[in-house]
Amino acid sequence: MAEKRPVVKKNRPRRFYDYSLLFTVIFLSVFGLIMIYSSSSYAAQLKFGNASFFMMKQAKIALGGFILMIIISKMDYHWYGKFAAFAYVLSYILMIAVSLFGKKFNGKRRWLGVGSLTFQPTEFVKIALIVMLAVMIVQMGKNINTKNGVALIIVTTLPIAGIVAANNLSSGIIIVGIAFVMLFVACKKKWPFFACGFAGVGLLAFAGPIATVLEKLNILHDYQLGRILVWLEPEAYPSTGGYQVLQGLYAIGSGGLVGRGLGESIQKMGFVPEAQNDMIFSIICEELGLFGAVSVILIFLFMIYRFMLIADNAPDLFGALLVVGVMGHIAIQVILNIAVVTNTIPNTGITLPFISYGGTSVLFLMAEMGMVLSVSNQIKLEK
Amino acid sequence: MNSNKTHHREKIALLFFLLFLAMTGLMGRLIFLMIFRSEHYSAMASDLHERERTIKAARGNIIDASGTVIATNRTVCTISVIHNQVKKPDEVVAVLSKELGLNEAEIRKKVEKYSSREIIKTNVDKAMGDQIRSYHLAGVKVDEDYKRYYPYDTLASTVLGFTGGDNQGIIGLEVKYEQYLKGLNGKILTMSDAAGIEIENEAEDRIEPIAGQDLHISLDVNIQRYCEQAAYQVMEKKGAKRVSIIIMNPQNGEIMAMVNAPEFNLNDPFTLNTTTEVPANEKEKQDLLNKMWRNPCINDTYEPGSTFKIVTAAAGLEAGVVKLTDQFSCPGFRVVEDRKIRCHKVGGHGSETFLQGMMNSCNPVLIDVGQRLGVDNYYKYFEQFGLKGKTGIDLPGEASTIMHKKEDMGLVELATVSFGQSFQITPMQLITTASSLVNGGNRITPHFGVSTVSSDGKSVHSFTYPVKEGIVSKETSETMRYILEQVVSEGSGKKAKIEGYRIGGKTATSEKLPRSLKKYISSFIGFAPADNPKVIALITIDEPQGIYYGGTIAAPVIADIFKNIFPYLGIEPEEEKTVSTFRISG
Repeated sequence: MAEKRPVVKKNRPRRFYDYSLLFTVIFLSVFGLIMIYSSSSYAAQLKFGNASFFMMKQAKIALGGFILMIIISKMDYHWYGKFAAFAYVLSYILMIAVSLFGKKFNGKRRWLGVGSLTFQPTEFVKIALIVMLAVMIVQMGKNINTKNGVALIIVTTLPIAGIVAANNLSSGIIIVGIAFVMLFVACKKKWPFFACGFAGVGLLAFAGPIATVLEKLNILHDYQLGRILVWLEPEAYPSTGGYQVLQGLYAIGSGGLVGRGLGESIQKMGFVPEAQNDMIFSIICEELGLFGAVSVILIFLFMIYRFMLIADNAPDLFGALLVVGVMGHIAIQVILNIAVVTNTIPNTGITLPFISYGGTSVLFLMAEMGMVLSVSNQIKLEK
Repeated sequence: MNSNKTHHREKIALLFFLLFLAMTGLMGRLIFLMIFRSEHYSAMASDLHERERTIKAARGNIIDASGTVIATNRTVCTISVIHNQVKKPDEVVAVLSKELGLNEAEIRKKVEKYSSREIIKTNVDKAMGDQIRSYHLAGVKVDEDYKRYYPYDTLASTVLGFTGGDNQGIIGLEVKYEQYLKGLNGKILTMSDAAGIEIENEAEDRIEPIAGQDLHISLDVNIQRYCEQAAYQVMEKKGAKRVSIIIMNPQNGEIMAMVNAPEFNLNDPFTLNTTTEVPANEKEKQDLLNKMWRNPCINDTYEPGSTFKIVTAAAGLEAGVVKLTDQFSCPGFRVVEDRKIRCHKVGGHGSETFLQGMMNSCNPVLIDVGQRLGVDNYYKYFEQFGLKGKTGIDLPGEASTIMHKKEDMGLVELATVSFGQSFQITPMQLITTASSLVNGGNRITPHFGVSTVSSDGKSVHSFTYPVKEGIVSKETSETMRYILEQVVSEGSGKKAKIEGYRIGGKTATSEKLPRSLKKYISSFIGFAPADNPKVIALITIDEPQGIYYGGTIAAPVIADIFKNIFPYLGIEPEEEKTVSTFRISG
């Protein structure tokens, strides 16, 4: 590996710091800001009279997040472990608080805060759970391979995931996914995980017939069946449920090989609702074409590859598990977001990490990156 | 811990591999969407973004035989407001109500209505449109548009017809020649955002409209106007319900004038032309409008009466069952089977030749000719002369002949048909058949349309019309011209005589059904010059008051018209002697 090149002798052990990952994060954040500006400027100009409204807001938080990331990355990650239980309990408190006193936005209580300072507790839950599970798995040692060990992890995850899911289904799915990935890496067994994975894929493949049967048996509400049907055939429901998905597909399809060019999207002009949020990838497709879209995916893939390297070389299991948790988090969000935008899975609101607009999201993503960089910083280069 | 390390690495690598697979799958999905489905989605997206505005094509002019434009277009404006773009609603309301003279509350309602476009007023003069445009009010649109305009208001209203809201022909030539006149609308394609606001700097696709073709017709404004005057005069003098006049070239079927008095104003076709009948409701008004728009020359049938004796005579001569010199006697009636059919002269015409019988318009003579022909023969000629079908005139809604079925036709029916009763034809059918019988035996197709010329004058399309030759022999045709000339010079049509001209003709007084009402249609058909007809005219006076004989009231009108249009048509007066030196053949 390039990083393990022969080192000049020094007194202090030379430590590694993953600049590749750092620059990937910087690149994605800046690219995200450009795309937010491109996709939101038209709507922002109409609504606020300021084309860069969303971009500037996001830029400030991203800058703050970046500083936070650098600070966290320079700390010893074992230190966060001490706060695991506290953060886990705080997650419950915040989630209960948000469902009681949260600010309503688009009919959903998802924001906590005073005045203009608001944040989404679900983002905090993700990072808290990653640390909590890592601590638990390390403490369990070999017990993680026993039924009790797995059960304990599940019992830790499901209640908080349930509370989150009640408020925000997609975040709940992501939290369960993170736990799944961490458990997968920690356990020696493979087949139960593959079985779950195949079951999930099978469910998607036969979603239409299964949903129809379930609806007939009165287990599924017809609006839920409706969502599945819209997913299977969005063009049949252009004005009702299929609108968002269809507008996204129009944007993606109009992109073609090289796209309309940066800033030239037409779908962002009110057709794709809140284009800077969940559907931003469709605008990337429209403006930058297949090349741009594939490049974005490749950058995420590179990022995940860096996570893998760091996890492999982490000084201990705790560090490795922290990185695996973050890796699972980002990978799941990227895959689910693109799958939703391309109508590969039914529509659910998941943001694209670093690129979609959202202050809380970018702040906590930066914190997670700080953790990963911190783990990387503990890697001793000489052996 | 170390033992764990290897399987952890293995698991992490496996995880990475699975995530790599998932992302590769998504890239595959993107390739499918963006390459193979690209066309489909781009097309759907374009449909969504492009807003189409049509540019109306100018409708072709209608131009008469003398080159006068009798139907054209005028630029008018449509004033509308676009809610989203209105910045100062109060000013907009104030200006529009002041300039257009409309109720302020009414305009305010439209300005404040949340809709993409609200039309304030249509058919506004261009000058007014320009004035409103000069205020530069945001959100107020002034769109220019074409509106059909008829410079002569009522001239040939039932012939020309008018156009509807979309500039499409509704009646008359406007509808018959729609495909030539209407042209092809152009389009402006603009891109717009989801709220329907046009996106600036987006390339505009513009498809230019193609103006409609000009239609040149045989109608002559000067003749038409003179005939209209004459029709109105006689209508007023005789207190008639309607007067129709057709002037045609009997050689080729070109119609020079077609009057249906009272005419209506083509620039205001939805206003009734009479004040006597006030419609009680919308439906009644529509019925009255439909009645007003009718062209009785072609849409309505009537019993032609004595003018139809031309047909019976021609059939008799053609079949050889009668000669001009054949002797007949008229006791004032003829008994056919069990029916006693009266002659219009109660005392009878006594002994007379066939020629005299025609000059006297004697019913028993024509009944005898009909009986000599028999039902089969009569029916054969009826069809041969083209009376059974329609004339094929280039106007919509031509009525068909109403005739007995051959198997239902007995001798009594034959007798009544022989002098023009018990069946119905249109005036157009009568004048067309008469033309064909006196022009040498060529059944012509009456028409207005001569040619169409594209707006740039480059492409000319001339219309041709079918002619059926030899429906009667040239000799029979010549004899018919002689007979009809005699009718005018010394017979029942002598009021149509004009000094120095050779005129042929036949009068008629038809009883309207039911006969008990004692209502009449007086008519006269005349042509000139009698030896080589260049013009033929038919006048029908519907329900004249007082004296109702065709020979008395209808024939002088045609004489008057002929006198005035002969110089215009280049028909010169000739020596009287040619009439007396005419030799009867056979």
